[in-house]
Amino acid sequence: MLTALILADSRFPGGGHVHSGGLEEAAARGLVVDEPSLESFLHGRLLTAGLLAAGFAAAAARGEDLELLDAELDARTPSPAQREASRAQGRGMLRAARRAWPSARLSSLPPSPHQPLVIGVLVDEPYEAALTCAYLAVSGPASAAVRLLGLDPFGVNAIVAALPVEDVAARACKELPALGSPALDLLAEAHVRREGVRLFGS
Amino acid sequence: MKASARLVVGLDSHGNSVVRVLRSQSPLTLVPARRVGPVALVHLVSSVTSPLGGDALELSVEVGPGASLDLRGVAATLMLPGPTGLPSSSVVRFAVEGAVRYLPEPTVVTARARHTAVVEAELDSHAELSLREVLVLGRAGETAGTLSTSVRATRCGKPLLHQQLIVGSPLDSSSAGLAGKRVVGTSLMLDAVSRPSDGGAWWNVVPLAAGGSLATALGDDVVTVTRVLDAI
Repeated sequence: MLTALILADSRFPGGGHVHSGGLEEAAARGLVVDEPSLESFLHGRLLTAGLLAAGFAAAAARGEDLELLDAELDARTPSPAQREASRAQGRGMLRAARRAWPSARLSSLPPSPHQPLVIGVLVDEPYEAALTCAYLAVSGPASAAVRLLGLDPFGVNAIVAALPVEDVAARACKELPALGSPALDLLAEAHVRREGVRLFGS
Repeated sequence: MKASARLVVGLDSHGNSVVRVLRSQSPLTLVPARRVGPVALVHLVSSVTSPLGGDALELSVEVGPGASLDLRGVAATLMLPGPTGLPSSSVVRFAVEGAVRYLPEPTVVTARARHTAVVEAELDSHAELSLREVLVLGRAGETAGTLSTSVRATRCGKPLLHQQLIVGSPLDSSSAGLAGKRVVGTSLMLDAVSRPSDGGAWWNVVPLAAGGSLATALGDDVVTVTRVLDAI
């Protein structure tokens, strides 16, 4: 449980703070401008990308073959920008984890693993791993919204607290999800193509 | 209504793609074009109003080494609720050693329809497959029913693409779902052609991790979405 808390903490030095999960692009286009539009974005992200990531974290925590999971997650992530964001966050987390929790299974991860697999291996309990992943899928974009749009942190925190993160984590433990989000894929690729100043890597 | 249909296409000794097995079962009626050539053309005609709630449809397509098949729809599909309130389902399975292009016309998810659509494709090492799907969320002024559509494509057993899309939920309006667009189109191209990432505000084409490309377009009408997919 402590490992899950540390990984979900925004002060964990895994580099997650440079990713907005599509929020920066959505804000730049005026799709997310206030609390209601942020709530809709976060809810959609939780039920699609969040469920997907949580399902793979749970499967990795159950001890399933990491190489097969890596290939299956690639097949469920058509956007190269999203694959790279997931692997960049996986690398960052792995770097910090090697010092904190060295283990044989950690060494058996591919060199640049998807983040949900790293979380699954570290947390080692399927529901907790899924919960950590599902929470991280919305907490990063939520804090990015506070920084980019100057939204009220209390209001944003209340939105995150009311999201069905536990339900999604429980569903993620049942079978490997494959639910995609066409808009998130389009936003992720458009963010990479965007010229000018970008505060976030994704 | 429960129906299953099967289509097998192979290469003959003259280099022509020929239909070897053609088993239709209404509403899945397969109509081969009377022509001889390297690509066999077959139209998939819905010969009874379908899918209605309660329907279970299955189509299996096999294309042998060196053979090539164009499988086309002839009219838009209206997914409709039935009198019983039961959901409907359709499964299309492809086993490809040659090349297949599957181009059905757009599918309209009408109010109260509940449908599950599954496409499964297994390709051998040099096989090619292109699939198009254009979904319309309800007729004009209509709220869409619910649809779950999934595609799983593998090459020699290894996954290339596995995507599920749900229509008719709060995700429709979320900017992390369908962003309030009424039409969503995808074009999956599993071949050896290298296409760099490209896109505009509401469309893109991206290279998949294990080979092939996927084009996606969101729009307010079928014409816009189809034009984008045609141009790729």
